Amino acid sequence: MIAECVREADVLEAVALGRWPDRCGELAAHVASCEVCSDLVEVARALHDDRAWLCREAQPPSAGMVWWRATIRARAEAARTAAQPISVLQGIAGACLVGAAAGLATVAWRSIHWMDRIGELAVNLESRRADIASASALATGHGLPILIAVAAGLVLAPLALYFTLADD
Amino acid sequence: MHDMTLSQLEQLGDEVAVSEATFQMDEDAFRLFYERTARPVWAYLSRMSGDAKLAEDLLQETYYRFLRANVSHESDAHRRNYLFRIATNLVRDMRRRPRMAESPLADGVGHQEPADPQSADAADGAVRRLDLARSMARLKPRERDLLWLAYAQGSSHKEIAETLGLKAASIKLLLFRARRRLAGLLREGGR
Repeated sequence: MIAECVREADVLEAVALGRWPDRCGELAAHVASCEVCSDLVEVARALHDDRAWLCREAQPPSAGMVWWRATIRARAEAARTAAQPISVLQGIAGACLVGAAAGLATVAWRSIHWMDRIGELAVNLESRRADIASASALATGHGLPILIAVAAGLVLAPLALYFTLADD
Repeated sequence: MHDMTLSQLEQLGDEVAVSEATFQMDEDAFRLFYERTARPVWAYLSRMSGDAKLAEDLLQETYYRFLRANVSHESDAHRRNYLFRIATNLVRDMRRRPRMAESPLADGVGHQEPADPQSADAADGAVRRLDLARSMARLKPRERDLLWLAYAQGSSHKEIAETLGLKAASIKLLLFRARRRLAGLLREGGR
């Protein structure tokens, strides 16, 4: 429950204006008999005096210094914010290149197996030269382009990565 | 679509950065506002953090956030309340950090006492400040905020509610309890 007193505002004003207790004869008599106002004087006076002392003794940095630091920091933060989309784009480009390289490697790996099967087919069909010729033609017709594509990818991927990430 | 190189993009980013670095408040207006508010804000931060050095860092951070917020204020009082709100949030954040668990207020009390040591008034004042610091240290952080804003800063209940993010209707009761507690502690000499 809150205990209140109608003289609280008067007491606060007297403390805030520095009139307490010397110029508060009647009010001082009231405070002496009122528990609420007595607490109020105790607390308000202590805090008011403490603030006054702290404000007197405070040595905050100059306004110019605070402004200058804030400006520098704001610029640095704005530059970071502006660079974020570029970093994201670079990351996406890098991820795409890695994905493409992995895809090419998978295709190359499969083509090697496929060529092995062609080889086995060639052995099985040794007696039938006509079939061997057709198998060789098949291998030459499909395997070679794949190998060229893999080699090109391996050479071009680092170059593309370099140009994407380079500053200029 | 016009193609841009990476360097052009970065240059554009720098230009954007420079234009964004300007605050809504110009430097002259800031200087005036700062001269009026820096000391009370520093006093508040110093007492609430219990560390004069830390108060200086928090002061810089408070004004930086104030400038970056780019909020338009209807009056100087509103602007000042907003500043104290930022300061309060910063002190709260700082309290959550583990290092602030120890001695919340006592550190800031004894720093520089330039008055004549032979002066009885100065000695009496120093003792009272020490008592206050000890007593405040025994209060809850929210009680400290409430009491300082109400009786040191002279804020109204509505302003306190806005600053501390509390309901205006609850301020009276919270303030009464905090005041009674602090008064009791002060009478005991902060012990």
